[in-house]
Amino acid sequence: MSLLRAEGLEVSTTLDGRQARVLRDLTFSLQPGQILGLVGESGAGKSMIGRAIASDLPAGFAVSAGSLRYGHEDLVAMPRARRQGLLGREIAFIPQEPMASLNPVLTVRQQMDEHLRRIGVTDRLARARDLLAQVGLPEPDAVLQRYAHQLSGGMCQRVLIAMAFASDPKLVIADEPTTALDVTIQARVIKLIADLQARSGTGVLFITHDLRLAAQICDDVLVLYAGRPAERGPARALFKAPRHPYTASLHLAAPGMTGPRHVLLALPHQMPGLRQIAGMTGCRFAPRCPVVQADCTVTEPVMAAAGHGTACHHPDLAGQIATPEAAPIQPAAKRAPEVLRTSNLRRVFRSRGFFATSETVAVADADIVVHEGEFVGLVGESGSGKSTVARLVAGLDQPSSGQILLDGQRDMPRALRRRHVQMVFQDPQSALNPRHRVGDIVTQAMRVDGHSQPADRTARAAELLAQVGLSPEIAGRTPSQLSGGQRQRVNIARALCVVPKLLVADEIVSGLDVSVQAQLLDMLLELRERLGFAMLLISHDLAVVRYLCARVVVMHRGAIVEQGDTDAVFTAPQHDYTCTLLEAVPPD
Amino acid sequence: MNAPWLRSGRVIAGAVLLLAVAVCAVAAPALAPHDPGDQDLLNILLPPSWMNGGDPSYPLGTDSLGRCVESRLLFGARTALEVAFFSALGAGLVGTILAHVAGYFGGAVDWVIGRAVDIWMSFPPVVLSLILMVGLGTGTDKVILAIILVDWTRFCRVLRSEVITVTRRDYVSAARLLGYSHWQTVTREILPATRPLLITLVSLEMGIAVVVEAILSFVGLGVGANQPAWGQMIADARQNVATSPLGLVLPMLAIFLCVAGFNLLGDGLRRALDSRQTAVRSA
Repeated sequence: MSLLRAEGLEVSTTLDGRQARVLRDLTFSLQPGQILGLVGESGAGKSMIGRAIASDLPAGFAVSAGSLRYGHEDLVAMPRARRQGLLGREIAFIPQEPMASLNPVLTVRQQMDEHLRRIGVTDRLARARDLLAQVGLPEPDAVLQRYAHQLSGGMCQRVLIAMAFASDPKLVIADEPTTALDVTIQARVIKLIADLQARSGTGVLFITHDLRLAAQICDDVLVLYAGRPAERGPARALFKAPRHPYTASLHLAAPGMTGPRHVLLALPHQMPGLRQIAGMTGCRFAPRCPVVQADCTVTEPVMAAAGHGTACHHPDLAGQIATPEAAPIQPAAKRAPEVLRTSNLRRVFRSRGFFATSETVAVADADIVVHEGEFVGLVGESGSGKSTVARLVAGLDQPSSGQILLDGQRDMPRALRRRHVQMVFQDPQSALNPRHRVGDIVTQAMRVDGHSQPADRTARAAELLAQVGLSPEIAGRTPSQLSGGQRQRVNIARALCVVPKLLVADEIVSGLDVSVQAQLLDMLLELRERLGFAMLLISHDLAVVRYLCARVVVMHRGAIVEQGDTDAVFTAPQHDYTCTLLEAVPPD
Repeated sequence: MNAPWLRSGRVIAGAVLLLAVAVCAVAAPALAPHDPGDQDLLNILLPPSWMNGGDPSYPLGTDSLGRCVESRLLFGARTALEVAFFSALGAGLVGTILAHVAGYFGGAVDWVIGRAVDIWMSFPPVVLSLILMVGLGTGTDKVILAIILVDWTRFCRVLRSEVITVTRRDYVSAARLLGYSHWQTVTREILPATRPLLITLVSLEMGIAVVVEAILSFVGLGVGANQPAWGQMIADARQNVATSPLGLVLPMLAIFLCVAGFNLLGDGLRRALDSRQTAVRSA
């Protein structure tokens, strides 16, 4: 008897007056005590499943066919009252944004108390304490008195996990529970979910975009592509020997942490949207498939009912997809000039209260060197001070003490500095003015002195867009009309307009889907060949740093704890913190 | 041209109302049957022409001094629009400049401007404008000046918080890194983002200015006795409200329609001009 069972589930909405299916042919079953992973990139429809279970589909969306059963009960046709009785008791949710999911004006104790009262616990304070201890929070009493903003993201997520498991639920739905968390905290949260699940025999539906993470924690995995299952099977088998070209591509698009570096497989285009899907025949993956055959665009493949199934006409071809080994990263030439040297760089933030002044040392005595044409990775968790370093180097913030030498010069004048160092910002949404056209954004630098002609700017815009792999017609669009990956390309193109010697890139691929990330990483390597700039790459993703950078700098609580050649640091870390970071990465 | 603001019902309704008022104002000399100041003491408090005892040469009747109500309404529109336009423009200009300086530079500059606004706003606006009018004397230019001096804080306070939000965006940092001067950054990156709000505020301020001008004229500290104004008409019609209520109702209706027009236009423009809202709608 399966705990949760979907049978040909279909979720639809109306688009341009016609029915558009966001999810379809979804069939899976989750046994008690199992973890089922739902893996897909953004737009695959994976979050719709969690929302369908809670009957919380967005306005205009509805289950249009198939069934979704919890035990013997039909979750779709279930009366409201019955569903309300199940949710939070037998079925619990772990949300994606832990900070936003706790009420900011209530203490943890008040929120847990409310939840425990609802599920009928009598000795609530003791139970709350006990639950917080179970999720590994030290000093549960102190945590109970706090508000959400006084806790870190990881602590908030632990509180929410404690609340989810408080009622001994039979089914837990975890929707990207670690996406907003640091890698070391992710590892602990994942372990915690797995432990609690094993202890209480709960079934977990684990929704994620990270195939590697799913392979680590799940028993079975279902890969979704454009609203339809592409492959289903035991996690390890599916990960090691994928039978759908999309699963294989996902695997090859993510840089690894061990073994030789392979060129990343960058699938062309992007996942089709609802409008495009409506006009497609045959396999939805066919237009991007590296091993597409003639019959793929004719009929849509159907997945076998049981076992390791794949919705592909040619499952044997998936294993043939491979990428060549990448050329080793050239370390900087011995006598290459330094484009950046910081010495004893220090930044202290003072927050002045009414009575007292408190100090936070964001960066303590950092010494970083970047040579001409060299890519240096700067890794660390959130709060480690790496973004502050980026802002200091770019000149957006002034150090409290210490020096920044650009090209060996102190205090480079602003007019020179802007040609020397440029920054690519983390969030392309915020980095691109929504009111300007892309063509104007990328050639912003030319408008500074007001001498450039419109024709020159148009030509330069087309050139820059071509460099970052965008078609020239994009120049006429506004950022809101672009996809996430396209926006980040525009963001990079703007920084390249002045052809800087040093690019400071702050988490430029975080938040992007793995196939889009692969396209961008390969583009950066290609641009380095062509333009020869150096880069200080700030990232929390060690695999990305390993793929791009010859040297790596590890930061922890404002201080540099280790730096050296990437391979040396990653294979033989010297500092405890580096070891912790490396252990937290899900295995290849 | 299929600009989105042309398709908004609010904008169309507001624009039609204001256009009607503007036509009245511009064409007042041609439309008015009489000079608005002419007194016909033999025909005071006449009802409108279609009622018993009405005179066809006074379509909307006369007031207690025998002046033509219709003519005074038409010429009153001139006063209202003139005050609305110039005072909103002036208050908007002063408030916008200070808001951008305060929000963009922050720190001590922001503190000084912020405190100035605080102190300014702690005076009740009507009292402040009355005091100013007593000091300045009557006249259209004095009314405009008083409204500017009272209402720039409204622009400053609302826009400042918007400027702060926008200044924190990475594209402002990016512009600075690319070499933009402060002036270039504010005018090219920040102002386009605050403009929809500014347009709304200007439009709403015009409505407020119409009301303030009416209040000041009502208490006799407005544009001056020899210039027709709606507030004055209300004040004059007060004594005879029992016998000729229309004398009171008509200028009130004029004020209402004019203010409603400005508010509808302002709200409609804000919705249509904000590219974020437009993007959400088309997505």
